[in-house]
Amino acid sequence: MTEYKKPLPRPALESEPFWHGCKKHQLLLPHCPHCGSYWFPASVTCPECLNLQWEWKPSAGKGKIHSFGVYHRVYHKGFEPEIPYAVALVQLDEGPRLVSNIIGCSPEELRCDAPVEVVFEDVTDDTTLYKFKLLENP
Amino acid sequence: MSEKFRGKYAIVGVGQSPLGKIPEYGDIGLFAIAAKNAIEDAGLKRADIDGLISHGPDDSYTHHQHVGEALGINASFSTSTDNGGASQVLGVAMACMAIDAGLCNTVVVGYARDAWSRTHRNAEAKALVAANSEAQALKEFGPEFGLFGQPAHYAIAARRHMQLFGTKKEQLGSIAVAFRNHARKNPNAFMRDPLTLEQYMRARMIVDPLGLYDCSVYVDAAGAVVVTSAERARDLKKPPAYVLGFGFGNRLKGWFADDNMITTGAKEAGETAYRMAGVGPKDIDTAQMYDCFTHMVLLQLEDYGFCKKGEGGPFAASGALEFGGELPTNTSGGQLSEGHVQGMLQICEGVRQIRHEHGADRQVKDAEIALVTGHGGNTVCQSAVILAREAS
Repeated sequence: MTEYKKPLPRPALESEPFWHGCKKHQLLLPHCPHCGSYWFPASVTCPECLNLQWEWKPSAGKGKIHSFGVYHRVYHKGFEPEIPYAVALVQLDEGPRLVSNIIGCSPEELRCDAPVEVVFEDVTDDTTLYKFKLLENP
Repeated sequence: MSEKFRGKYAIVGVGQSPLGKIPEYGDIGLFAIAAKNAIEDAGLKRADIDGLISHGPDDSYTHHQHVGEALGINASFSTSTDNGGASQVLGVAMACMAIDAGLCNTVVVGYARDAWSRTHRNAEAKALVAANSEAQALKEFGPEFGLFGQPAHYAIAARRHMQLFGTKKEQLGSIAVAFRNHARKNPNAFMRDPLTLEQYMRARMIVDPLGLYDCSVYVDAAGAVVVTSAERARDLKKPPAYVLGFGFGNRLKGWFADDNMITTGAKEAGETAYRMAGVGPKDIDTAQMYDCFTHMVLLQLEDYGFCKKGEGGPFAASGALEFGGELPTNTSGGQLSEGHVQGMLQICEGVRQIRHEHGADRQVKDAEIALVTGHGGNTVCQSAVILAREAS
């Protein structure tokens, strides 16, 4: 694997199981069996009902592009070769919104509300990132 | 219940430091200059000041202590606020509340930041800034996908607004152009070159759909105001700007949560402030709005009730924000052109308009009531204050 030059996630205590899930190509969401809500990122208490006994549940990994911005300015050298690149806010069908990238297409092909599906990129030996691709036949 | 504050307190002095690239002063020095000017503007002496509410760079600790030391004052009430760009309007409201509680009589509220020099003063400054941005940066769910800096949050919001309501980039441009025209009348403004809509459209993109002129301009500067009771205000040098009402809306669940990037906490801030003041959007003669990015002006025009949700684009492009328009806004050039001083200069300009202090070319004719707004903490926190020439 060539040297990976972009920043890697530095997980909060609550996020570590999420990133372990990504490593296994699973998109895990915090889910509260008490009130039924999903949220993201993880927190010690369910933000809906403050229940502490919640669980990680796999997401179906489908959603829509809520919105996106296309970077023309370099903020980090690791992303310089990809300028212009898009950062998208993806609305999962379960409810939470995740910041991510849409791979396999150029920024011009992106539209708000376009359906997307999760894919996983093993970017280093230790880290797998969740990303999304456009769904052609939703 | 909140109406008990209406007209009981006033801003009686405003002051600014020099504005621009001023590497010889740090943020505390800039604050001290602005506070000195505000105290003199009110016709007060330093010994009259017994309250201090300050806000400084994001990495500062007990900021008000450093300011108080520089000003050589002890205070019966002092603190530093932590609502980002919503802090300055919050500071004015907290001053009223502290005086009302009998904790102090006359309060300096101010903000300072050596925003340009922090990144340019010397090699040491550059290293310090790198450390600071590291401390403030997201640690996960952002940088690994290339999400850095402030503009993207507003670009993502602007694109969603465009999707929902057909808002156009040209409409955002009309905001940048209007405020530049105002800055051209203000000798203290940082950006005074002419700006046309064509230049705006041709400018380089930062994070599409936001380009260079959608972003506010970082400068070294400070602003300060003096707040006291209406009774004391009547004996002072300049006409008071009475505080009719204030309000806040803090959508702490986050900018990307719910519909917070479409309808912001400004809606609640405005509703509370209007109710306290006993006025509505139609009564506002001039607005001084927190304009970190053009799109945030557009959202506030909607959320503060000057037009319906989704109509901010056409409203802004109608010329409403210009002198002689329906709602002359950011009449000193705003943060987009005068300089980004975290909304503090918007408060100063609101007071000056209410005092009818400007020459005819920069004065909103017969301005009686001004709305001044702030927002910060990645736009989660919104604050509003309504200032007026008459106490009721």
